[in-house]
Amino acid sequence: MPAATPIISMRGISKRFGGVTALQEVDLDVCPGEVLAIVGDNGAGKSTLIKILTGVYQPTEGAIEMDGQALSMNSHSEAIELGIDAVYQTLALADHLDPAANMFLGSELTKSFLGFRYLDNGRMRVEAERVLLERLGVRLRSMDVPTESLSGGQRQAVAIARAVYHSDLRVLVMDEPTAALGPQETARTLKLIEVLREEGLAIVLISHSLDDVFAISDRIQVMRRGRRVDVVHTRQTSRQEVLGLIVGAAEAA
Amino acid sequence: MPVSAPKGLQERLDPYLAIIGPMVMILMILAFMGVAEPARYFRLSNLNIILLEAALYMPLAMAMTFVITQRGIDLSIGSVAALTGIIMAFAIKEFGFPAWIAVLLGIAIGGIFGLINGLVITKFRVPDLIGTLAMDLVYRGFALVLAKGLVLARFPDLITDIGRGRLPGFLPIPVIIGILAFLIGAFILRRSWFGRYSIAIGSNPEAAEMTGIAVDRYKVYAYVLMGAMAGLAGVMLTGKLNAIQATSAPYFNLHVIAAVVVGGTSLFGGRAYMLGSFAGVLLLSMMINALVTLRIEFFWQSVASGVVIILSVAFYTWLQKKDRDGAKGLLNAFTTPDNIKLMKLGGVLAAGTVVLLVIGSLFSTGSVPSG
Ligand SMILES: Nc1ncnc2c1ncn2[C@@H]1O[C@H](COP(=O)(O)OP(=O)(O)OP(=O)(O)O)[C@@H](O)[C@H]1O
Ligand SMILES: [Mg+2]
Repeated sequence: MPAATPIISMRGISKRFGGVTALQEVDLDVCPGEVLAIVGDNGAGKSTLIKILTGVYQPTEGAIEMDGQALSMNSHSEAIELGIDAVYQTLALADHLDPAANMFLGSELTKSFLGFRYLDNGRMRVEAERVLLERLGVRLRSMDVPTESLSGGQRQAVAIARAVYHSDLRVLVMDEPTAALGPQETARTLKLIEVLREEGLAIVLISHSLDDVFAISDRIQVMRRGRRVDVVHTRQTSRQEVLGLIVGAAEAA
Repeated sequence: MPVSAPKGLQERLDPYLAIIGPMVMILMILAFMGVAEPARYFRLSNLNIILLEAALYMPLAMAMTFVITQRGIDLSIGSVAALTGIIMAFAIKEFGFPAWIAVLLGIAIGGIFGLINGLVITKFRVPDLIGTLAMDLVYRGFALVLAKGLVLARFPDLITDIGRGRLPGFLPIPVIIGILAFLIGAFILRRSWFGRYSIAIGSNPEAAEMTGIAVDRYKVYAYVLMGAMAGLAGVMLTGKLNAIQATSAPYFNLHVIAAVVVGGTSLFGGRAYMLGSFAGVLLLSMMINALVTLRIEFFWQSVASGVVIILSVAFYTWLQKKDRDGAKGLLNAFTTPDNIKLMKLGGVLAAGTVVLLVIGSLFSTGSVPSG
């Protein structure tokens, strides 16, 4: 069971886009070493909620705390500095760059010659290979190919490696990381998530696949029409119950 | 990880693709000219002409490689070159500036024009195609206003050295400048943030933005580099001809874009081949020189550059398609319902044109000399 004190607490989060209310009074807690799954129908507000958590959007109302300290983030890069990073629904990879370049995109390693700094491609390659292998147990057949020639699961691994390379990463958010993957690659990605949980990261996982959710999560937060309808412990619930919460059958009946 | 399939032919060729394409075409030109006009084409003096012509386009193609890699385009470089050349000429002739100051001034002002292009595109959100085309009119207009149809000629030695000088027993100076530009460009592409981010921006702009790359700032950098290199080209052109006028450098845009895309840099972004651009410049210059040697009218050059762009873009796009079909696929492609409709449309247009030609000649009153 995860440590009892949450690393992240979101309280009373509301978000309006013009007239559209995407989120209303939503809470979220996640503890180190646990996987919190967020489920809900299309448009339930899952992506919006985690974009607020990762600094992409700012909440209209509500507060976020990290380790009990109030947070205010104005951009995604501020979230990254705080140790909160995300792997998105659509992968944020530059297909034409090789895996190492992608992994270090935006935070390249450099060396300098006569005070003149330039990219250290060799070291980035070695580091990328090491992180992929040591932290995620993934070995690519070549580090020289453009990322577009990798399989979906390998690309996912590169995207995850980019997030976990920050040694101070503490919260990893994944928005439908397995949506585009086949069964084998999905299994491999879930393995990666397990590895990261063992390392004590707090993981927020959005997924439409209840199979994945039940395979890996510790708790499940159900969203419906911009509201949090319930949070349940995965071991103490059933698919039936969660499905009912998602579509709102219990209330409608 | 599963055992991987052996590398496909395409994958193994990929790093060399950029150079193979232009090389094959260069060989074809050489073979053709070897049959058609060997004596005049393969003279040493002609080689010199080809190199001098190519050198002019080298800094431009280097910078354009970055612009195109970012999914951008710059259609104002000819006018920027002409205008900076004229400004440099005025600085020397009207205001008596030292030549070396005037040269640096030309490059700096070119950079400022590039900055303006970049700001028009990133701040005013004018699409690059229209933005730079409109700025092309502006720069050309200023060139005409300044030079008023005059040809400014006879410049200090420094300028003509830059344009057509030669290190004794070695390469012409402009060729050295051009090659240097490419070497620096290749280094920047692989070893600098600007190069890395240019590829990332062209490959996936949203992802680049999300990883915290200042996309707009790096786009502006590319246009500034492009403008500065256009300024340099203006200086080189002035030196090469020892003259400059407002209508100089009319075909720079098409020529440079053709050289870059024939070298494998993708107009769809993310794919940059500095070596390919270099080969592309050589190819274009050899092709145009071949046309000249064959005494084909000057205006055909424009036709040739345009055809080269279309063919190479189509070729590389076809090459990169993941599922290529064989000859049967090609035949099938002609018989899809959509394409049959297009062929019908083409048929109707052709038939209509023929009818108009027939009627026109029936009612013809003989030729009317104009003027
Ligand atoms: N940038 C935006 N501007 C306006 N409305 C938005 C914006 N982003 C999201 N919304 C709205 O907010 C609501 C929640 O969207 P969100 O993307 O969070 O849903 P989701 O739960 O992630 O859905 P899915 O499962 O389809 O990914 C939707 O009604 C959507 O239309
Ligand atoms: Mg979503």
